Amino acid sequence: MIKIIGSQLRLKRLLIFMLVCFPIYLLASKQVWVSSKGASLKSDKKASSATIENLDIGDELIVLSESGPWYKVQSPSGKKGYIYRGKIASEKPQYIPAKDSGNSGGSLGSLLGGLTGSNIKANSADTSRSIRGLSPDAETYAQNSGTPQKFRSALHLVLSMTLSDQEIDLFLKTGKIGEYAE
Amino acid sequence: MKYFIHKTITRSMLVFFIVCIGFFAHCKSIYAFDLFDIIDPDQKNEKLQRAKRILDGASNIVSSGEEMDYESELSLGESVALEGFKRFGMPISNNNVQKYVNMIGNAIARNSSRPDIPFYFVVVSSDRYNAFSCPGGIIFITDTLIKSMEDESELAGVIAHEIAHVCHKHAISALKRAKFFEGVGKIATANSSAEKQKRYSKQISFLQDMLFDKGLDQSMEFEADNTALDLLYRTGYQPQGLIRVLEKLKTIQKRAKIQQSWFSTHPPLKERLFKCEQNISNYRDINNLAQVKTRFITYRSYIK
Repeated sequence: MIKIIGSQLRLKRLLIFMLVCFPIYLLASKQVWVSSKGASLKSDKKASSATIENLDIGDELIVLSESGPWYKVQSPSGKKGYIYRGKIASEKPQYIPAKDSGNSGGSLGSLLGGLTGSNIKANSADTSRSIRGLSPDAETYAQNSGTPQKFRSALHLVLSMTLSDQEIDLFLKTGKIGEYAE
Repeated sequence: MKYFIHKTITRSMLVFFIVCIGFFAHCKSIYAFDLFDIIDPDQKNEKLQRAKRILDGASNIVSSGEEMDYESELSLGESVALEGFKRFGMPISNNNVQKYVNMIGNAIARNSSRPDIPFYFVVVSSDRYNAFSCPGGIIFITDTLIKSMEDESELAGVIAHEIAHVCHKHAISALKRAKFFEGVGKIATANSSAEKQKRYSKQISFLQDMLFDKGLDQSMEFEADNTALDLLYRTGYQPQGLIRVLEKLKTIQKRAKIQQSWFSTHPPLKERLFKCEQNISNYRDINNLAQVKTRFITYRSYIK
């Protein structure tokens, strides 16, 4: 009888201990969200290390530890690695782009169709930009206001400038900026 | 008790009335517009035409809260950019400098709240110290402003500030506010193509006036400064870069041309500096972040 009471008491204590510890565990695990384009999970605390996984804006990460500007995190797929602090935020981004469906080589119609609303891909917009010139309203405005052709041509040139992600990464690397800092 | 019931009923009726106005204004194109055409096809009945114009005004008020799509935003931005060239000057001819500024801008824009839209940056030849952003992400900066800087983090600071305006859609918000008040004060007329073009031109004129001469609300400028510090930090530039450029501008303000410059279109520099200094204390390890002097000086030397 005494043994039964004793074991019940231990069980109760264990349950209370677990009830106390579980919320503390929940509070201790910190979540962050990927908030930058082109973020990736790295095998080490440097941009030149191998990429474990490419991440999308809005992906929720569990912070395991921090070391300077690098965070060790666990991704939604369960993989662990490092991410530069500039790529994450403590709040979920308000705008989360649609995941890349890999249709960058699609038809003109699908490219133009993707331009409505805020859910557009930069590559799609750039490609259609070089094809179509100024928007109809801007073109009409230019004609009605007597805007000289040289200004229209200048704007068209500005809007035709496209830069690849690789070029931008190299630019940051050369300048030792952000995750490329030594 | 009676007073409470009365108050509740009054509030409910007010809400119901507002909802009806919104619903009816939204359905204008289906019901009211066609109805007026049916009843008064020759538009001779003054009372009916006045009622129709009032309905258009109500539609303006309701639609002022709707989100503008990117295409419309960029279209406005393109037209403002054309005016920007007319007012401030043509792009400088050195394409290396143009690409350099675009590199900085796109590196920062990746970390912004609008990574889905392309940003475009252009350096124009002007004797003004100025930078401004057109709706949709077309950002101007004058060569004179760049030549006053010492390192890439300062240029990044100005660019980040302008990107922040685009991210917060400040110009569009200001336009919407103006449309709101127009809806109350001036009753809109029928939606013909000529009227649409007229309205579009008015919008461009308003945006020009605001971006080139008067400036945005001070609260918007402070918000852009705050977001710029965050963008710089996240990208890996020293946030102090923005502070340094503001301090430089403070020293040259007395001898610079004020109209159509960052001086005339932004809040007093002293106030901006104070707020930036306060906000920067939230960031750690900022002295370890990038300034990038050598590369900047090389590209600055290309500007004649």
